[in-house]
Amino acid sequence: MPRSIRLFALLLSAGLISGALVFGSDLTDARWLAVLGLAWVLLLVALWVPIPATVPAERRTVIRTAATITASFVALSVQLLRLQVVRGEANAERVAVSPEGEPISNPRRVNLGLDIRRGQIRSADGELLAGTEAIDEGWGRTYPQPAAASVLGYYSPLQFGVAGIEQAFDAELTGEETDNPLLELRDDVLHRTRAGNDVVLTIDFTLQRVASDAMAGRPGAVVLVELATGRVLAMVSNPAPDPAAIFAANYDQTDASAAYWAELIERADNPLVVRSTLGLYTPGSIFKVVTASAAIDQGLAEPQSMYLDDGVLEIAGRQIVENNRPDDSIINWSLEDSLAWSLNVVYAQVGLDVGADTLRDYADDFGFGAEIPFPTAVAQSQLEGQDGFLDSPPALAETAFGQGQLLVTPLHMVLVAAGVANGGRLMRPQILDRVVAPDGQVLRETAPEEWRTAMSEDSAATVADMMRHAVEIGVASGAYVDGLAVGGKTGTAEVAAEEPHAWFIGFAGTFADPAPRHAIAVVLENGGTGSIEVAREILVAAGER
Amino acid sequence: MTASVQPDGTRPRGRLGYRPSGRLTEFQLLVAPALMTIVGLLTIYLAPRSDLLWSWGDLWVSLVYAGMIAGISLAFSLFRFRADQLILPIVATLAGLGLLVIQRLQPDLAALDDNLAGLASRQIIYMTAGLVFMVALALFPPLLPLLRRYKYTALVLSLALLAVTFVFGVEVGGARLWLYLGPIQIQPSEIVKVTLIVFLAGYLDEKRDLLTGGWQIGAVTLPPLPWLLPLGLMWGASIATVIVLNDLGSGLLFFSIFLVMLYAATGRGWYVIVGLASFAVACVVLYQFFGRIAIRVQNWLDPFVDPYGGGYQQVQSDYAISSGGLFGTGLGLGQPWFVSQVHTDYVFAAYGEELGLLGTLAIVALYLFLVLRAFIIALNADDTFDRLVAIGIGATIGVQTLIILGGVVRLIPLTGITLPFVSYGGSSLLTNFVLIGLLLNISNRSNRRPRT
Repeated sequence: MPRSIRLFALLLSAGLISGALVFGSDLTDARWLAVLGLAWVLLLVALWVPIPATVPAERRTVIRTAATITASFVALSVQLLRLQVVRGEANAERVAVSPEGEPISNPRRVNLGLDIRRGQIRSADGELLAGTEAIDEGWGRTYPQPAAASVLGYYSPLQFGVAGIEQAFDAELTGEETDNPLLELRDDVLHRTRAGNDVVLTIDFTLQRVASDAMAGRPGAVVLVELATGRVLAMVSNPAPDPAAIFAANYDQTDASAAYWAELIERADNPLVVRSTLGLYTPGSIFKVVTASAAIDQGLAEPQSMYLDDGVLEIAGRQIVENNRPDDSIINWSLEDSLAWSLNVVYAQVGLDVGADTLRDYADDFGFGAEIPFPTAVAQSQLEGQDGFLDSPPALAETAFGQGQLLVTPLHMVLVAAGVANGGRLMRPQILDRVVAPDGQVLRETAPEEWRTAMSEDSAATVADMMRHAVEIGVASGAYVDGLAVGGKTGTAEVAAEEPHAWFIGFAGTFADPAPRHAIAVVLENGGTGSIEVAREILVAAGER
Repeated sequence: MTASVQPDGTRPRGRLGYRPSGRLTEFQLLVAPALMTIVGLLTIYLAPRSDLLWSWGDLWVSLVYAGMIAGISLAFSLFRFRADQLILPIVATLAGLGLLVIQRLQPDLAALDDNLAGLASRQIIYMTAGLVFMVALALFPPLLPLLRRYKYTALVLSLALLAVTFVFGVEVGGARLWLYLGPIQIQPSEIVKVTLIVFLAGYLDEKRDLLTGGWQIGAVTLPPLPWLLPLGLMWGASIATVIVLNDLGSGLLFFSIFLVMLYAATGRGWYVIVGLASFAVACVVLYQFFGRIAIRVQNWLDPFVDPYGGGYQQVQSDYAISSGGLFGTGLGLGQPWFVSQVHTDYVFAAYGEELGLLGTLAIVALYLFLVLRAFIIALNADDTFDRLVAIGIGATIGVQTLIILGGVVRLIPLTGITLPFVSYGGSSLLTNFVLIGLLLNISNRSNRRPRT
C-alpha cells in the first residue's frame, strides 16, 4: 500500500477508535465490536507495508502474518481499555435482572461496602441520625432517630441498594470522593481503602421531631425551610419505610429484611414513595398565591381591587360555583379578602385577566416544570398536563384557583412560600450542611444560592401582606399565633371520589423578630383538614428558636 | 523491511536479533522477572495479613523459580548457546506471572473446593518439568533434522492422539479433553499442537513446488491435489475436534495454525480466505444445530440476558475485569474467586481485577513481543523447514492468546483454551515450553551458522 493511503488508514483507524471510545460509551457491545472490526481492517491496511520484490515470498508472508497478529493485539488492547477504564465503572456497577426475575450485581461492590466504615449522618444540631457500629464481622448501620427516618432513605448493600440521602451522598459516606483528586489518585495507586466521611445535614433535629410528632403518622408531608438560605430544617414524609428494618448486616439477616421489603412493596399506600420530594399533589387554593403574584406584579390588580362574586360564574358554558363566601349577602370582594376567604370565582376572574401566557411565565419563574436542584430526586411540578390546556378559558379559570391539571410537590410549594416572603427570590433548597473527614477536616460546605426570581421585591411584599391578612381574618386564621407574624394560605385539593388533600403553605418570623424567617408547606393526604394545626405547631417551635 | 547491504555484498546476519556475545543481555533482562516473582509473592503473602512478619522460607517457590531461570541462562552461556536472548526473559516473566497467580488463587479456591487444594505445588512441578524439556530440546543440535525426517510419524501421532481422545477421553466441563493414564491426566490436544507444527512444516516444505502449481481447466486454475488433500484432512480433523471432542478452542487453533503455515509456505493469500470462509460456513451450520454454540454467541454479545444460567461465568468475568479499572485492586487484594475456572480459561480475569489495565496491557504486550520475536527468528532462519516451524510456533502462541483473551474480554465468542504459560495445567505448560525449546534451537542454529 502507498504511504499516503497507509497514513490515512492509520489516522482513520485511530480516529474511529478514539471517537467511539469518547462519544460511544453508550454503544451496544455489538455495535462497538462492528466499529472495532472496521478499525482493525484499517489498521491492517496501515500495517501493509510495501515489501520490495527482491524479498522472497517466504519472508514476505512472515511479515504479513506478523502485521495481522499485531493488528489483532492492538484490537485486544483497545477492547481492554474500553472494558476496564472507559466503561469500567459502568460495567462494574451494572445491575441486571435475570429472566426468572432474580437481580444480579457485582458481588465486589457488596463486599467493598461492607468493608468500609460508612460515615455518619448527623443533623445540624449534632444529633446522630445514621451511624455505623462494629459488629462481629464488618459493620452495622443504625438509625437511632425514627423521626428522621423519612429524610434518610435506606442503605441495603446486600439486597436493595441505597436510596435517599444515603444514596445522594454515597460517594462521601464511603470515602470514595474527597475534595482532593491527588489524594484519591494516591490511594488508588497504593490500593488503600479510604475511610468514610461524615455527612452533616441542614436538618434541625428539634424541629424535625416536632414536625414528625405533629404529623402523628398521618400520610402526607411537611417541609420547613429557612427562607433566606434555602436550608431545609425539617422534612417529613409519611408513611416511610424503616431503614433499620431494611438494612441487613450479613446474610443471616437477609430473610427478615426481605420479608419486610415484600411487605413494603405490597402495601397500598406505597411507603417507598418519598412524599416530600416525589409526591405530586393537586395544590388547590394554595396556587392562588401564584395567580395573585402574577396579577400584582403585572400591575393588573392591587390588594384592594374589587371583584364581583355573586356565587356563580359562567365561562364559555362552564359554571364555577362559589362555596367559600363567609357572607352570601356580600357580592363585592377585594383581591386581599378573596385570598383570605379563598374565593374561587374571584380568582377565576383574576386568572382570565392575567391570561394564559402570562400565567405560564410566572409559573415558570416560580419553578413549575423546572428541575429543582436537590441532592435527591425531585418530581417536576406541572402547570398543565397537555400543551395548550390553558388556552381554553374555563381551564385557565380553574387553574387560576388551583385545580385544572396542576400537580405540585411539597418541596416545591415550600419554595413558593419562601420566595414570596423572601422578596420574590427563590433560594436553592439545601439539605447538605457540610462533609466532614474522619480527621475532623471539613471537606465541603454548602453556601446559599439563589435559584430563580419570581417577581419584584415590592410585589412580593404585597403578596406576603395578603398572606398575613389571610391568617388574621380568613380561612387560615387557625394558624394565627399571638406574637408571631404568620402569613399563609390553605388549600383543599379536590381529588375524585375521596376526601380532599389538605394543604397549607406559609411563613413566619420568630417571637423575637417579626421579619419572615421560616417557610413551611404541609400536605395531609385525603385529610380534609388539619394541615393548619400541623403548620402552626411547627412554626411556633421554629419561632421560639 | 529493507536490509542494508554490506560492502562485500552480504546482508548482516542477525540484524533484527542480537549479535551473540555471551548471554549478558539475557541475564540482565532476567533480573526483572526474578524480582517480580519474589516481590509479587511477598505481596500475595502479606496482603491478607495485618502484620508484616515474613521469612525467606515463605517465598521459597519464587526463590527456586528465580534460581532455576538464572541457572538456565548460565548453562546456556556455558554451552556457548547463541539463541535469541529476549525469548527466555519474556517466557520467564509470563511463566512467573502464572506461578504468582496460582499461588494467589490457591487459598481462595481451596476454600471453595477441596480438589483444588494442591494447585500451586503441582504447578511448580509442571513448570520444572517444562523448563527441563525446554533446555534439553534447545541444546540438542540434531533436533530439527530429526523432526524433519519423522514428519509423517508426527502426523500419525497427531491423528492417533485425537482418535484416542475420541474413544477414551473423559469429559470435563462438557468438553472431552482429558486422557487418564493411571495417576496422570493428559490433555492430548495440547500435545497435538507440537506434532501438528512439525508435520505441517515438513510436509509443506517438501511439497512447496507442487503447492504453488495447479491444474489448468479452461480459464480456471484449480488448486493442486497436495493442497486439497491436507486442507480436507485438516478441515475434517478440526471440525471433528469441535463436534466429537466438543473442543471449539482447539479446533479453531489447529485450523488457524494450518492456514498460517500454508500461507507462509505458498504465499497464496486466497488459500487463507477460502479456508477461513469454509471454516466459518461450518461454524454457522454448527450454530444452527448445537445450542451450546448459540449460547456462546449470546454470551459474547450480551451475557446479561441469562446472568444466572449460561451467562454466569462471563458476567462474573466482566465484573472482575471492569472492577480492576486502571490500577487494579493490587495483587492479593481483589476477589477473583467469583469467576468459575479462574485458574484456567479465565485466569486473565484475575489479572484484570488485581493488576488493572496497566497490568493487562503489559501482559498483552509481552505475548506480542514473544510472537514477533518468533517471527524474527523465522525471518533470520536460513533453513526453510526451520523457518516454517518457527512461524508455526509464533502463530500458535499468538493465535492461542488471541482466542482465549479475545474470548474473555468478549472480542470474539469464548472458546475454552488455556492461556500459554499462565493457565494452570501440566499438558499446556509442558507443551508451551517444548515449543519454546524448539524456537531456541532454531534461533541457535541460524545464529551459529557461519556467515557467508
